[in-house]
Amino acid sequence: MRLTLLDYSILAIYLGFVITIGLVLKRKVKDSAGYLQNKSMPLWITSIAFISANLGAQEVLGMAASGAKYGIMTSHFYWVGAIPAMVFLGVFMMPFYYGSLARSVPEYLALRFDEKTRAFNAISFAAMTVFSSGVSLYGLAILLQVLLGWSFSLSIALAAGVVMLYTFSGGIVSAIYNEVLQFFLIVLGIAPLVIVGLIQVGGFEGLTAKLPEVMMQSWRPLSTASANPMGVNAAQMILGLGFVLSFGYWCTDFLVVQRAMVAGNMRDAQRTPIIAAFPKALMPFIVILPGLIALALTKSGSPYQLPVKADGRMDYDMTLPTLLAHFYPTGLLGVGLTALMASFMSGMAGNVTAFNSVWTYDIYQAYIRPKASDKHYLFVARLANVGGILVSVATAYLATQFNNIMDLLQLVFGFVNAPLFATFLLGMFWKRATGHGAFIGLISGTLAAALTHGFTVAEGKGGWLTSQPVYEFPSGMAQALTIAIIAWSACFLVTVIVSLATKKQPDSKLKGLVYGLTPQGKTKGGAWYSNPLALGLVALALTVILNLLFV
Amino acid sequence: MNRMVEDLRFCIGAFFLLVGVLLAGHGVIVGTMVAGMNLNLFTGIAFALFGGLSLALSLRAVD
Repeated sequence: MRLTLLDYSILAIYLGFVITIGLVLKRKVKDSAGYLQNKSMPLWITSIAFISANLGAQEVLGMAASGAKYGIMTSHFYWVGAIPAMVFLGVFMMPFYYGSLARSVPEYLALRFDEKTRAFNAISFAAMTVFSSGVSLYGLAILLQVLLGWSFSLSIALAAGVVMLYTFSGGIVSAIYNEVLQFFLIVLGIAPLVIVGLIQVGGFEGLTAKLPEVMMQSWRPLSTASANPMGVNAAQMILGLGFVLSFGYWCTDFLVVQRAMVAGNMRDAQRTPIIAAFPKALMPFIVILPGLIALALTKSGSPYQLPVKADGRMDYDMTLPTLLAHFYPTGLLGVGLTALMASFMSGMAGNVTAFNSVWTYDIYQAYIRPKASDKHYLFVARLANVGGILVSVATAYLATQFNNIMDLLQLVFGFVNAPLFATFLLGMFWKRATGHGAFIGLISGTLAAALTHGFTVAEGKGGWLTSQPVYEFPSGMAQALTIAIIAWSACFLVTVIVSLATKKQPDSKLKGLVYGLTPQGKTKGGAWYSNPLALGLVALALTVILNLLFV
Repeated sequence: MNRMVEDLRFCIGAFFLLVGVLLAGHGVIVGTMVAGMNLNLFTGIAFALFGGLSLALSLRAVD
């Protein structure tokens, strides 16, 4: 792929804008709260930032790849695996996060349970965010190396340097402002590709005609695991993805929840994930459709063909970049590549700012130096910003040497995340849940996940605890979803049992933290769309309609 | 000026207007056709319109 001066100019304009935004916003940062949790954002900004924080490279490149590999079933990651959880977060969980005045998700756990539960969540989250950021950086450098022949180190230095400049200067506000700009760039930069691609395959009817029936159906192939390319059945999809993993991510991951927590008031905080659900429901048409178009073009003998690796296997991860290179002329190619870079940087900045907050509030202030001045915490937060990015860079280089270590890290973090939603569900809706119950439940869920992975195999992975695996899953996806269900169930059951066996917390300590002991905010009055529940029901109705379109 | 730049709509508007004008200009001068469309021209106009709208909203708020 060859870029011209115009393409490089567009990339330079974009980088200039994101750095300028960071530098201009620097003067708005006057204290640690302004740097880490600025609660003054308008609703439209928090809503777009909410989905943009998740619109990293994994989503933009990964969903196009999954579209080509699994077909329209990939939409389950949105219509089953995101929207219901986002609505649940807005309607039921935000009142506790926002109303408790906690500055972070781990801090809510400290208020609701105890310090050991907070420490477990804070340390695992902080480690996960910087390593995820490093993986994002590694992915970007590899992409630029393959597509443009750029040096690995130059790509790392450029992306990490730009993200450091704007997050160091403007903190959370700068990260969120840039996430919004990145959202529009990604959507508007990829949309022309979808339009041109659809024209090439003969519209939506042509697309359907060129693809096998199973690639254009989302629910029918789930009758049995063997009937679809994902190798999962409807129960695994609904329970594993639609409940455990989806609610575990969207309702408890501070990276996304933080975007709602910076809203100016409770009602806006509640509506942030729900309003975000509307564009999120339509995102498959931007990120998955290119994968389907690529497959249809390949099958119909077009000059565009899906990329193939050196060993002859399909290189699905390069679906979107190769489509951009095939269809986009000079100029628009620069926009497309800038959009890809923006998605990597958006993911990295989101991770780094979430890391800053958790490190400063939940680790440093909580356990290292509790009673320092605000000026000191602001200094620590800026230092954490630099430190987080440096660890990300080190992780990216580590990935070049030990690719398996990255797989292992992601696996371990998956074990920690899967049971988390059970802890929050019980914590927010069952006042009898105790700190000991939550902590032992989380450990048990994590262990259950590790044991399930150790005794089963799928696609050659897992089974590290035995020479004779107990069960072989038809696909890695089926294994991951089953592990999530088992981990969640173990955490839920152990939390309930241990809570009943330990001393209950007094009701007075749980006010504002648990359903039933928290006064419900007045949401009546005003237009229907200012009511989170009404708005949430409309979002769910839209999702049902979208699911029905591709049954 | 700083107040305007602090308004996110101004930043978004300025960026898309600038990129839109560049794309549309290139589309007019070179006119590369993709799937029967002058893709740079159409996308450039769409970007510029979006950018202009965003800028107008920002300027109205400052006034």
